[in-house]
Amino acid sequence: MTAQAATLEDMERDALTELVNIGVSRAAVSLRKMVGQQVLLSVPSLEVVSRSGAITLIREREYGQMVAVRQDFDGAFSGRALLIFPESNSLAMVRAVAGESLTLEEAAAIENEALAETGNIVLNSCLATMANMLKQPLTMSLPEVLRSNGSLLFESRRPETDGGIVLFLYINFAINNHDIRGYISMLMDLPSIQALRLLISEFIRQVMGEEI
Amino acid sequence: MLNRDQTAAPSLRPSNDVGRAEALERLSAIAGPWLEILGKSGVALTATDARAPGDTIIFANAAFEALTGFASAEIVGRSSGFLHAEDTDPATLARLHSAIAQNGSATADILNRRRDGASFWNRVSITTIRDAEGLPAFHLASQADVTSEYVLESRNQELRRSRQKLDEAQERLRLAQVSAAAAGAWEWDIATNRLIVDARFARIYGLEPTPADLPAAAFFKPIHEDDRMRMRIAVAGALQGAEVFARDFRVVVQGEVRWVSARGRTYLDAEEKPLRFAGVLTDITEQRKVEERLYIAQTAGGVGSFEYLSGYGTADVSGEFCRLLGLRPAQSLPVRTINSVVHPEDQAIIQNRDGQMAAGTAFHECRITRADTGEERWLASRGEYRRAVGGGVIFAGVIYDVTTIKRSEAQLRVLTESLEERVELRTQERDRVWNLSRDLLNVIGPDGLQKSVNPAWTALLGFERSELVGSSMDRLVHPDELNNLTFQLAALRRGESISDFDIRLRSKDGSYRWVSWTGIAEDGTIYGIGRDVTQRKLLEDQLRQSQKMEAVGQLTGGLAHDFNNMLTGIIGGIDMARRRISQGRLHDVDRYLDAAVKSGQRAAALTHRLLAFSRRQTLDSRPLDVSTLVQSVEDLLRRSLGEGIQLAIHVGPELWPAVADESQLESAILNLAINARDAMPDGGQLTITLQNSPLSATDLSDADVATAGDFVEICVKDTGCGMAPEVLARAFDPFYTTKPVGQGTGLGLSMIYGFVQQSRGHIKIVSETGKGTEIRLFLPRFQGELSTGDESIAGPAVLGTGETVLVVEDDPSVRLVVLQVLGELGYDAIETEGGKEAVPILQSRRRIDLLVTDVGLPGLNGRQIAEIAREHRPDLPVLFMTGYAKDASEQSQFLMEGMEIIKKPFSVDDFGQRIDFILRGSARD
Repeated sequence: MTAQAATLEDMERDALTELVNIGVSRAAVSLRKMVGQQVLLSVPSLEVVSRSGAITLIREREYGQMVAVRQDFDGAFSGRALLIFPESNSLAMVRAVAGESLTLEEAAAIENEALAETGNIVLNSCLATMANMLKQPLTMSLPEVLRSNGSLLFESRRPETDGGIVLFLYINFAINNHDIRGYISMLMDLPSIQALRLLISEFIRQVMGEEI
Repeated sequence: MLNRDQTAAPSLRPSNDVGRAEALERLSAIAGPWLEILGKSGVALTATDARAPGDTIIFANAAFEALTGFASAEIVGRSSGFLHAEDTDPATLARLHSAIAQNGSATADILNRRRDGASFWNRVSITTIRDAEGLPAFHLASQADVTSEYVLESRNQELRRSRQKLDEAQERLRLAQVSAAAAGAWEWDIATNRLIVDARFARIYGLEPTPADLPAAAFFKPIHEDDRMRMRIAVAGALQGAEVFARDFRVVVQGEVRWVSARGRTYLDAEEKPLRFAGVLTDITEQRKVEERLYIAQTAGGVGSFEYLSGYGTADVSGEFCRLLGLRPAQSLPVRTINSVVHPEDQAIIQNRDGQMAAGTAFHECRITRADTGEERWLASRGEYRRAVGGGVIFAGVIYDVTTIKRSEAQLRVLTESLEERVELRTQERDRVWNLSRDLLNVIGPDGLQKSVNPAWTALLGFERSELVGSSMDRLVHPDELNNLTFQLAALRRGESISDFDIRLRSKDGSYRWVSWTGIAEDGTIYGIGRDVTQRKLLEDQLRQSQKMEAVGQLTGGLAHDFNNMLTGIIGGIDMARRRISQGRLHDVDRYLDAAVKSGQRAAALTHRLLAFSRRQTLDSRPLDVSTLVQSVEDLLRRSLGEGIQLAIHVGPELWPAVADESQLESAILNLAINARDAMPDGGQLTITLQNSPLSATDLSDADVATAGDFVEICVKDTGCGMAPEVLARAFDPFYTTKPVGQGTGLGLSMIYGFVQQSRGHIKIVSETGKGTEIRLFLPRFQGELSTGDESIAGPAVLGTGETVLVVEDDPSVRLVVLQVLGELGYDAIETEGGKEAVPILQSRRRIDLLVTDVGLPGLNGRQIAEIAREHRPDLPVLFMTGYAKDASEQSQFLMEGMEIIKKPFSVDDFGQRIDFILRGSARD
């Protein structure tokens, strides 16, 4: 089973992108409530890559240390979800979420906490949106914050079952006039991908079913 | 505020307009308690009289007062549009009004102004209240401040603009198109699933005239089949709560495919449920065309583009840019990622030149290690620095792969280097040849001077290189061959190549070396190779000498036979004479003696000719009549030619006398005739023509000694096989013969040539293979009359008168004869054998009137004795006797005043006359 089997078709990728878009928009609603500011989230595109491909991608596109919020999920499909920021964007993110009046020191002090909370909202919304589509329960672990230059981020939950794929998405945070770039990654093994495809085809069927 | 309803009518009080009060009553009658309830609600409300001109306000509640800042009294009676600002969109109003007129209700967001002047977005929802007849009576309008949505929208715009820079460029174009009225707006009401579009959207979608509203499915109708699925998924996302919508797709309107860009938002209601999906649609067909062209240009041309704003950590790049570096496609990459693939020794692709360079172009090449394959490639980067609008410097440009060119360059460089090596090697080889060659090698420049010579010159001729370079070859060439050299060099310069061209070159010690040259000219420069052939020439001379000896052998063989015959005649004649004398039969003696003398004379003529062969004859040039001579040998010619050959002799009129040696001329003519005979083995015609022939300097341009003037021509022409050009060219060479060995000496023409030259005449030869040969001899004309009679048989000897004659002769028999003759002629003779005896006598005071001496003597020769004699007796006449005139071949150089020469053998009469001429002729003068 290689990347070929795991590759999603164009239409499936589009559908998945929309699912995530719906998810992050819900997250944005939650964040708006939380920070009392305008928050817009969007996911313009999705790439399906191997684990090593994901490492290369992040290394090429970002230079230096990355900060990530990671949550494992189990249910109809299982895997790891990450919200990744370049370290340089991380504090900006924290200040945007927690308040502009924070000094850098103050922001640094609550950084992990704020990131974990933000990540939790975003990732939960995404995965919940997907699970809801399938009408399947999904449990998620507590968020943890990682710092790495890349390879560590995409560590598999079960290293022995390598060969999974990484769904790699850009995410744009527009918070209170700040524009913060990040990534959402979902590491999944092949069975999960198959389950995900079911979900996607259901979404597509639903879309097609609407007699417009 | 509640008390207001209590005084609903009074609250609409202050109106002094009775009609308005009535209207309010009518409204109350229709609306009943609803009006009251609505009035109390937090929703800002107004009611207007639909029948009144200007749609005047008859009612406004407290919430409206709070919203606008106007008191109710200030409101009632005014037109419904009194809140409109200057920048309120008239199109929206028009749409609103037309919607009300059509459907009775409408909603629109209108930019309005509060009392304090602050503008706000007012979402106005208007419902028409009809009377019993169903005609519009009132308009009830709810108002809500939705400014925050618009602020959000403007932020959303900012968000979009601040996205990728490439997007930004696209966005600028898009905005430009928006302002060029290409953008159309849509609003999708999710609850009702209806779509409201504006005129421009309708135009883009090919919906004309603009429909008031549409079923939502109309959004997908014109979308290109290939994009439809994608768009349905995207819209499904938006309808299910994905807030940000941005898609480009194709629409097909009346068969024409156009690209459009849709940018939208999903608005949520208070429960966070999707309420509306609205946005703008822009025709981006032209932009797509440009982008596609750019894309094709980039991919097909392998050109990647980038744009970098100073101070930022990332640069915007094209897909091709990433591909060239072996990076995964991205729209933006960190500068460090980009530069990390560049070879550490090379210049980075993107350099932070903030503050260093404000404007200008930049070009450089660098090596990269492809991120994906690790392969090393060469890239060229060409870019431009320009000031950014907001400060900083933008560096935008392209990169492209130049590996092939670089590798070709490298290969070329290696090739060039190896070529240089090979050339160097070749040069060394050539130098070796140049230096080691025993042949003379030289290079002569267009100026005729030697540019270089090889060391063989020094070895052969002894001159140092420095003595030869820069000087002409003329300096070294034997004077006889100077003309030839000039001629050959000229031929070379004309592009002919020469070979086997032999000249003599002087060596430093003065001796000459024969050198055979091969030459070629290139661009005016002559390259020569000369081989020392002196040894060969010596051998040739030896060969020639041996051939000559062979010839002499042949000759002597034949001549000995003749000689013996002649000697038989002489000895026999004398013997018979002696016998008759002893018998006393004296009357017979003269007959025998005459025969002996005749034989002797024939023998003398023969020896003369023999000497001619060795070219050591003394030419006895004198005036002669050529025709007489030719006629005298005609008999001999006919006999020699044989029967197969016709001989014709033509003598021109009034033929001039010529000056030449008679016997030599005779021999020459015979020789030519024999040659002609040999050229006509099967017979033919031999014609001898004699005629006068004046020659100009032009005619004599190729002559050596002859000068312009009158000549007598002897033309000998045959009808034989002729000569090939190469034979003709050597015809006058000594020993050159075409005859088989033993049949010819090769001396004939050479001898004739020598004779003619010596006679100051000229010779021409015309011949062609198969067309016979014509040889023309030109002898100088004698100016004057020929004396008749032969001087050699000029009367008897004159007797002497007792003069004393000193005779020096080593041959006893000759001495005896000479003494006898002198005695008989009446001279006193002193007899000596050589200089030993003669010199003391000459130095003594003895009377001596004449010295008669042989030339060739052992010890002092005749010439030296004569000189000694002249020291003591300056006026002493001298008569030399010679049979072999090596030193006397040119008499004028040999003889001084008062000296004469007589050739042996001579007759007694000749001798006597000569002595008499010397002693008395000079005295008589």
